[in-house]
Amino acid sequence: MIAYRAFTKRFGRQVAVDALTIDVRAGETVALLGPNGSGKTTSLKTAAGLIHPSAGEVLVGEPGLPASKPSARQACSFLPQKVLFPEALSGREVVEFYRAIRGASGERTDEVLRFASLNGAGDRPVRTYSGGMVQRLGLAVAVLPDSPILLLDEPTAALDPAGLVAFYDLVERRRGAGRTTLFTSHQLGDAERLADRIAVLVDGRLAGTFTERELATRLADRGSMRVRLERLTATMLAAVREVCPHATVEGADLVVPGTAAVRPRALEKIQAAGGIVTGLTTEEGRLDRLFLELVAGEGGDADGGRA
Amino acid sequence: MRRLAPFAVVARQEFVLASQSRWTQIFALVFGGLSFAVASSGYILSGGHGVQDFARTAVSLVQLVTLLVPLTSLLVGVMALAPERGAAELMFSQPVSRRTILFGKLLGLFLALAAAQGIGFGAAGLAISWEAGDEGAARFLMLAAGSLALTAVFLAVAAWISAGAQGHGRARALAIALAAWFGAVVLFDVAALAAASFLRSGSASRLLVASVLVNPVDAVRTGALLGIEGVTAFGAASLAFLRLTRGTAGAAAAITASVILWVAVPAWLAARRLERADV
Ligand SMILES: Nc1ncnc2c1ncn2[C@@H]1O[C@H](COP(=O)(O)OP(=O)(O)O)[C@@H](O)[C@H]1O
Ligand SMILES: [Mg+2]
Repeated sequence: MIAYRAFTKRFGRQVAVDALTIDVRAGETVALLGPNGSGKTTSLKTAAGLIHPSAGEVLVGEPGLPASKPSARQACSFLPQKVLFPEALSGREVVEFYRAIRGASGERTDEVLRFASLNGAGDRPVRTYSGGMVQRLGLAVAVLPDSPILLLDEPTAALDPAGLVAFYDLVERRRGAGRTTLFTSHQLGDAERLADRIAVLVDGRLAGTFTERELATRLADRGSMRVRLERLTATMLAAVREVCPHATVEGADLVVPGTAAVRPRALEKIQAAGGIVTGLTTEEGRLDRLFLELVAGEGGDADGGRA
Repeated sequence: MRRLAPFAVVARQEFVLASQSRWTQIFALVFGGLSFAVASSGYILSGGHGVQDFARTAVSLVQLVTLLVPLTSLLVGVMALAPERGAAELMFSQPVSRRTILFGKLLGLFLALAAAQGIGFGAAGLAISWEAGDEGAARFLMLAAGSLALTAVFLAVAAWISAGAQGHGRARALAIALAAWFGAVVLFDVAALAAASFLRSGSASRLLVASVLVNPVDAVRTGALLGIEGVTAFGAASLAFLRLTRGTAGAAAAITASVILWVAVPAWLAARRLERADV
């Protein structure tokens, strides 16, 4: 439904997206995850026909057409990260304008205003809207034609709680109806649970595609426990290494890297060796570190520890 | 209800927005007030009767139009066509070509500015017909036509400037628009006359003729004055121009061609620039 074929975009000398190849199949929900500046918006806007590829191509619809063709965009709706509307128009007038452009039926206006919880505010000028309401109005416009393909840029960062409820509901319904959804995000949150696949983009390159569970596990692997002991001995370290080979000593602390599952067993070993715990802190895996590791090279997840 | 084509939908929306914009409303007020003032005081100052004296009033009105209309068309055009981030993205992601959106917007803006000028010309026309009678009316229409021509030309130029500003922000586009206005309305004539004063009379008059056709402001000014027959008020450039085109018909054709080119070429370049831009 959306096919990135060695898609490359350069802005001047800077490479924003480098040879991205990925297929989003019909009916799939895919999240494009990556740190700021990794090229998510650029990739999404190209599928919306707003940016021209420097090399490669981005095809949308069935059969795939270049997104820069107006007819191809018949299959698409796009919600930018931040939308702006003429302040003098009412929410209803904004929706009516896009409804006329898309040729959607007359009842859709009220339906989408209700969907975006704007039915009470539809007749007020956009000038009086809060930031969250404006973004919800954008969401209303994006769902207006019920397109086979929906593209959303950072919906979880941009939408307010009412907008998020509508967004979750929307994605579930679209999945049920076999429609395709591609959205971006810069943190692994609830939204990614909605995605069938998560494509991780770092520095403009695709670092891999994962399921939400795979990514969550990898993240947990990158956590650690730090145990402060009354007196730390070599026997204790050796005992802990039986369950966690990468345990190390940092100052007065014993550091146990890895998932939460290994931690109780490590504590048991310490106690069995006669250790007295005086302090304990845990740190969960950080997404930014995971991103870095993913780009540095796929070493697999045999090594759960950090250097 | 029959479904309206996207072009018409965009034009209608832009007309509504531009009519409601403070800029257009201020322009309508200022233009109307000044036109009325020029028309009534100009006539009174000339102290005469009949249409001969209308010519003198019209000359002042031509100055007002050639100063104010390009400026307003450029500013209103850039404000509408070089939108802030987020405003264009949703629009250009619709299944409508950028060209269609641009031309629809241009039509809407043109109609809104034409309506605003209608108020000004209405006020001036009232003052003139009161003093000079109906005979002034036909000549007065020449002036209105010139004003609309300038509106179309400078909206097209604004579109070209705005298409280049896609992603650079509006402030830069506004600065370029002001520079374009200053160049076309003020600097150009000064430069042309200065250059001509260094040339022998034959080349000088050829340069002046060229300058009338190259600059749309001069073309419209010359055309309007020609229509009003205010030849007494003609500058050196316009007289040279009239000599070379051997009469009014030739002059009118040359001026019309110049205006049409000045609308079509920038509009076409703007569309091409916009199609190629990243939004
Ligand atoms: N219009 C543009 N001009 C120049 N550089 C750009 C432009 N758009 C994006 N970039 C650059 O391309 C890179 C990717 O940007 P973007 O796609 O917005 O990333 P993300 O959405 O993942 O934060 C960034 O380094 C950004 O600075
Ligand atoms: Mg982004």
